[in-house]
Amino acid sequence: MSTLDATAETARRPLAGRRVHLGDVLLQLVAGAAALYTLVLLGLIVYKVVQGARLSMSTFGLGFVTSVGWDPVHNAMGAGSFLFGTAITAIGALLLATPLAMGVALFLTELAPAAIRGPVTALVETLAAIPSVVIGLWGIIVLGPFLRDHVMPPLHSALGFIPLFGPYSTGSSIFTAIVVLTIMILPIIASISRELFLGVPGELKEAALGLGTTRWEMVRGVMFPYARGGVAAAMILGLGRAVGEAIAVTQVIGAGTNISWNLFNTGDTLASKIAESYQGYTTNLEGASLFYLAVILLVFSLAVNLVAQMIVRRVDRRQGRAV
Amino acid sequence: MPRNGKLVRITLALAAAALLGALAVTSAGAAGKRSAGTLSGAGSSLVAPAVAQWSTMYSADTINYAALGSGAGIKAISARTVDFGASDAPLTKSQGQGCHGCAQIPWALTATIPVVNIPGVGDHQLKLTGTVLANIYLRHITKWNDPAIAAINKGLNLPNQNIVVVHRSDGSGDTYVFTNYLSKVNKEWKTKIGCSTTVSWPAGEVGGNKNAGVAAAVKSNPDSIGYVSDFYAIQNHISIARLKNAAGSYVLPKISSIEAAAQLVKGTKIPANNKISLTNPPKSKKYKNAWPMSTFTYVLVPDQTPKAAQLKAFITFALSPAAQSAIKKLIFAPMPAVVIKAAKKTLATIHS
Repeated sequence: MSTLDATAETARRPLAGRRVHLGDVLLQLVAGAAALYTLVLLGLIVYKVVQGARLSMSTFGLGFVTSVGWDPVHNAMGAGSFLFGTAITAIGALLLATPLAMGVALFLTELAPAAIRGPVTALVETLAAIPSVVIGLWGIIVLGPFLRDHVMPPLHSALGFIPLFGPYSTGSSIFTAIVVLTIMILPIIASISRELFLGVPGELKEAALGLGTTRWEMVRGVMFPYARGGVAAAMILGLGRAVGEAIAVTQVIGAGTNISWNLFNTGDTLASKIAESYQGYTTNLEGASLFYLAVILLVFSLAVNLVAQMIVRRVDRRQGRAV
Repeated sequence: MPRNGKLVRITLALAAAALLGALAVTSAGAAGKRSAGTLSGAGSSLVAPAVAQWSTMYSADTINYAALGSGAGIKAISARTVDFGASDAPLTKSQGQGCHGCAQIPWALTATIPVVNIPGVGDHQLKLTGTVLANIYLRHITKWNDPAIAAINKGLNLPNQNIVVVHRSDGSGDTYVFTNYLSKVNKEWKTKIGCSTTVSWPAGEVGGNKNAGVAAAVKSNPDSIGYVSDFYAIQNHISIARLKNAAGSYVLPKISSIEAAAQLVKGTKIPANNKISLTNPPKSKKYKNAWPMSTFTYVLVPDQTPKAAQLKAFITFALSPAAQSAIKKLIFAPMPAVVIKAAKKTLATIHS
């Protein structure tokens, strides 16, 4: 019997009947400590953020969450416009990125010639590796002016009756932030969806095609339902990224502190407000209010994650019944 | 069996090595931060070009300066993560307390200036008054061909376009100087917006991060207006606007006009905290040439610091005639003698 076999044999033996080895105990301790460490770290972060926000919480109370404006001179601050900005940019980016990502994933799994699959897949994944500060810089210099000159004018003249596409003036806008976020979350959703589509059993697809469906009918009837739960999870991952992204958004959103339904106006998000103001706040109350924004961002992200998990679970359950 | 033991041993060895490595890095970091031969500073981006110039001339110590913005500089020195901070805005009362014994020493003199990007309007062509500037930033004036602007710019072809208003989104000494000036010339500004390094801007404005962000926003948006430190406007080739001072002349932010504004300190007693405002010099023939948004910028040092001797040497150098005139090309005016004297007096109180 070789050493290798012996090891495999050891691993299969149930732990209960074993002699206690010092090494095993140590391993358990080390691994346990590592797990505990993350928990303690999370706890400390939450504690510190809430502690930092205490002054603002006692001054403004819960009204802070919905009140609009950021005026450290007159001690009037609120999270309303930042919550709005976070929601509208994240949802907007998700709405733009999801169909695009589906297209990319379908192309890479079903439609693309084998020769270009590899390179394009690698390129999509490279997109995810671009540092956000670089995307932000490109957003200021290239994307913002381009959107202002070539995208906002036709959108405004064609859809100007919808408040979302109102008058435009600069390249720094909520809309620019949405496009930048779309670029950042597209590869996340696309690469996960691609994996999911690859996982659809070949027999199912062949059976559908064999029944005489077109390729699109096969995609719609077999692949989408099969991957639905996973795609929902991928979208949530993208949403999480969009909600938390700070630097790139700070660079292109234009730091406005009012609520406007016009996507071409400037705005701000929770994360970008914290990033741009934290280093230079003037009063203790402003500093505490920035911490308060961080608390809201934490709760917001947590809520998004919980809702997401619920959706995924429900979709899975429904799917389980259907299959 | 022996295999398992080996694995555990390797794991333990790796863990120990990682721990040792981490310890080594931490101690090296701590030693590096306080080692002799370097002075680290952070803050004002307005003064950053001057500090960069000085550090090439100064050989006793290496100067590491991070242009994070005035607000960040105040925070950094309050937490003592740097050896000196730099701010264009003098410390507020609560900031002074938060700094636990910091001296603020004026060490350079320059200006905040309005810059514009209007197609068809060149450098130094547009004229503005404090009231017009306030009304543009309050969004009462929203188009470039507004009668109030046209009346003082006869002969200029001003477009019928919305004005894109750009401000600083981070806590900034330039914002302080800008809002300080507008508070002095416009009542509505004073009550509604006020004067600080961060204020609440009226709706629909565009924020830029740091001087570079504002410069980029103005450059990339036609029909825009912003405010930056003098040097950044020249370096980025953005059009500078003339500004009417209280004496009634439309001036440009030149060394001579900044020096003219600094005449204000003559014959006045410089307070112990060296807080001096140069904005909007009074209506007088003496200030005919004065730029209305001139400002001293301050270095912040702890009263008591182990690096007192090094800091004193560096700041004494910065106050020297050679250092002051070396930054003239960066549009910093040499500081008046009385201010240099007051600065040296404060500097002498720094001890280890």
